[in-house]
Amino acid sequence: MDPILLAIYVLIWPIIVAGVLIVLCAAFFKDWRQARKDGRMIV
Amino acid sequence: MPDDLEFYQLSGLTVIFLFIAFYGGTFLVSAYIGKKRENADGYMTAGNKLGFGVSAASMTATWIWAASMYASATSGYTYGVSGPLHYGLWGALMILFIYPFGKRIRAVAPRAHTLAEVMHARHGRSSQLMLAGSNIVGSVISLTSNFIAGGALVSLLSPFTFGQGVIGVAAGVLIYTLWSGFRASVLTDFMQVVAMLGAVVVIIPAVFIAAGGTGMFEQGAENLTPQQLDFFSSDAFLNQGAPYIAAVLAYAIGNQTIAQRLFAVREDLIKKTFVTATIGYGATVIGIGMLGVMALYLGIDPTGGDLNNLIPQMASTFLGPILLGVFFIMILGSLSSTADSDLSALSSIMMADVYGKNIVSKNKKPSPQRMLLVGRITMIIATAAGLYFASGGLNILDLLVFVGALWGALVFPVIASFYWPKVTNTAFTVSVLAALAVFIPVRFEWFSMAGATGYVFDVVSVVGVGVVLGLMAFGFFGLKPARIVGLVAALASAPFVIGFLHDYTVLTASLVAYAVSTIVCYLMSVRSTQNFDFDLIKQRVGDYDASLEPVDPSASK
Repeated sequence: MDPILLAIYVLIWPIIVAGVLIVLCAAFFKDWRQARKDGRMIV
Repeated sequence: MPDDLEFYQLSGLTVIFLFIAFYGGTFLVSAYIGKKRENADGYMTAGNKLGFGVSAASMTATWIWAASMYASATSGYTYGVSGPLHYGLWGALMILFIYPFGKRIRAVAPRAHTLAEVMHARHGRSSQLMLAGSNIVGSVISLTSNFIAGGALVSLLSPFTFGQGVIGVAAGVLIYTLWSGFRASVLTDFMQVVAMLGAVVVIIPAVFIAAGGTGMFEQGAENLTPQQLDFFSSDAFLNQGAPYIAAVLAYAIGNQTIAQRLFAVREDLIKKTFVTATIGYGATVIGIGMLGVMALYLGIDPTGGDLNNLIPQMASTFLGPILLGVFFIMILGSLSSTADSDLSALSSIMMADVYGKNIVSKNKKPSPQRMLLVGRITMIIATAAGLYFASGGLNILDLLVFVGALWGALVFPVIASFYWPKVTNTAFTVSVLAALAVFIPVRFEWFSMAGATGYVFDVVSVVGVGVVLGLMAFGFFGLKPARIVGLVAALASAPFVIGFLHDYTVLTASLVAYAVSTIVCYLMSVRSTQNFDFDLIKQRVGDYDASLEPVDPSASK
């Protein structure tokens, strides 16, 4: 198997994880801001 | 690499610092949201209105446990390039497949706390206690496994002993979860998922570069067998992927940590939450599995022949002290986020299912303050039980197999109970017991599968294949396509299964559990005259603590 393809196969996962992490952080801070605006706790 | 290679270890002071930073931070967050007078419903489900960010982070963090990281790397090391996919992909789909059922469950019981509580409202006590009992056993096993992973991590990477590691993790998790329960669990999950996912983003490329980059694939290809080099390896599918597919629905349906988050998230955010967690879990666990694939290419032998040492070994070999500390936090985050969810799940079951539905007399309303006390005492007892079992008092593997089968036997009766008004309490109970009665002797090989017996169980397994794939299709597409998918799957698999599958005991036993419970439940229900009104569940399952504000009905779809 082509080593370049294997390298992409190994390294694609942390890139996807980074994307999910950004989504989660953005959504969390949106929840947090909304909770502050509403004067309640986030959970 | 020689077998007796010693691990690079963090110093005792560094490990103490990491423990204090990690558990101290989570405790401070927990204290920040703590209330002098907690609410019983908030303690179990945070009031059924969590936002997307918190719920998706919590679902991701809970589902990624230390064992899944170790198992994915083991799969990569054993089965080669396709190994991590056959672990992580099916595990991720486990979350995805549950969401259509989750939406139905939530619509039927919008203010429930546990799935067993809904079964009580739908059927009665025996069905409820069966589900609650399996949840308790499953959560205690999961808790124990996480304590063991913590002890192993500490003993491998620090001068401290296994026992000291187990106690440190158990105490750390209990302290921040005890007062606020599920609310503390979900909020700290966010911190833990940031630590875990952040670590994965850094560690995998760091190990890849330190291990030689693409050069390791060029030089190490000879270390792999043709099956290990094959992306479509039949070995990997039959030994790892297929048994896991059979388990996916069982674990998703039977696991109270999933159900708890299902009842906690705002109803209109269920799909978004589950899809995000699917991607997050899949990418993280498959990514960590790549450490096993790299170890295979590099020709690394796991220290002491123990595959569980593989991830720490790769980390200590290729990462410097700072990244090793990051790795330490990643594993600590994965095991703590699942352990605190297990504690919350156990406390909810004891509060709602045992105390709320079975101890308090029928005409009395359970006291919310007493429920909180029950929840907190449960957490302490569960932690003590986890410590006992982690010290080697019981065979965890046997229990895990048993509870996995119990959940497999429960899948069809539970799902059918939410859609088919004809399913009775007797049909539910008898079908689960019948499935277990067949599963146990098959799984533990109490009799020979030689000759006609093996063929009989192969035929039953074919039915099991149809049931599993039919149920998966049912969640997304409805009854008619599910019947077609189930039938086609059974017919298509028959030539490959009959005369062959009974040699794979784990897979056969799981499929038999699905098949028997489905057949018995169907036959006992199809002639039933019962026509259950699902609206009754909303009336029967509600809040325990009046101090909580009601859910916004406009959030419901």
